[in-house]
Amino acid sequence: MEQILHTSALMLEGSKITLQIFFLTLVMALPLGLIVAMARLSGLGPLRWAMEFYIWIMRGTPLMLQLLFVYFALPMVGIRLNDLASALLAFTLNYAAYFAEIFRAGIQSIPRGQYEASKTLGFTYGQTMRHIIVPQMIARVLPPVSNETINLVKDTSLIYILAMNDLLRVARTIVQREFDMTPFFIAAVFYLVMTFILTWGFKKLEAHYAKYID
Amino acid sequence: MPNTLIEDNGAMVQVTGLTKQFGGLTVLDGIDITIRRGEVVAVLGPSGSGKSTLLRCMNRLEEIDSGSIVVGGETLVENDETGKARYAVPARAGKILARMGMVFQQFNLFPHMSVIENLMAAPKIVKGQTDEEIRPAAEELLRKVGLFDKRDVYPYRLSGGQQQRVAIARALAMRPEILLFDEPTSALDPELTVEVLRTIRQLAEEKMTMVVVTHEMSFARDVASRIVFMDAGRIIEENTPQEFFLNPQEERTRCFLRNMLD
Repeated sequence: MEQILHTSALMLEGSKITLQIFFLTLVMALPLGLIVAMARLSGLGPLRWAMEFYIWIMRGTPLMLQLLFVYFALPMVGIRLNDLASALLAFTLNYAAYFAEIFRAGIQSIPRGQYEASKTLGFTYGQTMRHIIVPQMIARVLPPVSNETINLVKDTSLIYILAMNDLLRVARTIVQREFDMTPFFIAAVFYLVMTFILTWGFKKLEAHYAKYID
Repeated sequence: MPNTLIEDNGAMVQVTGLTKQFGGLTVLDGIDITIRRGEVVAVLGPSGSGKSTLLRCMNRLEEIDSGSIVVGGETLVENDETGKARYAVPARAGKILARMGMVFQQFNLFPHMSVIENLMAAPKIVKGQTDEEIRPAAEELLRKVGLFDKRDVYPYRLSGGQQQRVAIARALAMRPEILLFDEPTSALDPELTVEVLRTIRQLAEEKMTMVVVTHEMSFARDVASRIVFMDAGRIIEENTPQEFFLNPQEERTRCFLRNMLD
């Protein structure tokens, strides 16, 4: 029993790193994704191409490779980030690309009549986006955003390669030291609980937005 | 042409030599039309005659290729030296367009806003007015279209006819001088059409300037002060409703009327 408590205490520390990466990535990647989506939909050719290139790179290479690149390659060109910052940079850039594609599809699914009605009422493009298009888009993209968010919970475990003591790495260390599989089960429960809370939260959000969808 | 002269004619909208092409296909071919203040002009014509496009050109949902559009004496667009349409600078064009309101076939209400929020959105966001300033007027407009009791429901809960009446009230909330209707009843069942037409008729009695693209012949006959008949991107005939229906001048008009009234 004492053993389990001790193990749990260590793992609690690990889960803090995991949660930190998760929340900070989400807080940065969601707005960045929206900005990228807007840029991709803009009429400016070069801006659009730049965003398409960025999304291609981010979705076309493994997140693990991106993590390693930020961690090992950037210092070679003089950019030194600490472990946490490296991880956050890689995660944010990667997830922003996925969110951007979800937001783009959501924005494009809003009927043209919404833009036309806004325009005839005198809205500028920015006002139309902010007050008419994006609020409707958010309601529509909740299911895929929920998917990505749950993926992120589990992808945080990739930071073990950066020698950061996240939940999974702590669990593995204990397992290897004590030949006891319990930490793996505890880790599994932790991820499941996180996922459960997120699923519940997104369900609430969907219900909130469902009030105007027939 | 000096602005005062146009105002003296009582012209609310003056369209001259308007042409519009879609990928090489000419959909409007030299349209001249004047809408006078207080007039209700019904635009009739077969599908594809360009009547909806004309309306959409008036409020710049489509950009014209050449010609001019003058709204209440202010030039929205006119030909440059090369004979191509050139629009007023954005700030000025915006002010001119604000004088017009539009009602769509598909209503295009904002689904994420309640009925009253739909009415208040543009005054609030575009004009920067406060809730307290605009709520009384918005409520008054809803009473006028008979939907005050629906002010807090979301559009999907309303029938098509009710949605269209909200859309009319929403357009009126910006206090336009002229309202453009693009087939306002084409997406509605006959019994819902009646309530929307009643609202438009009421506006006509209040001397609201309106251009109505429609297929409703009896409405055009009873409410319009003038009928404009279009075919193949041109205005074929313009007349009072009595003359238009009883004594059509052009063969194409007669053919159209035979088909519609049979």
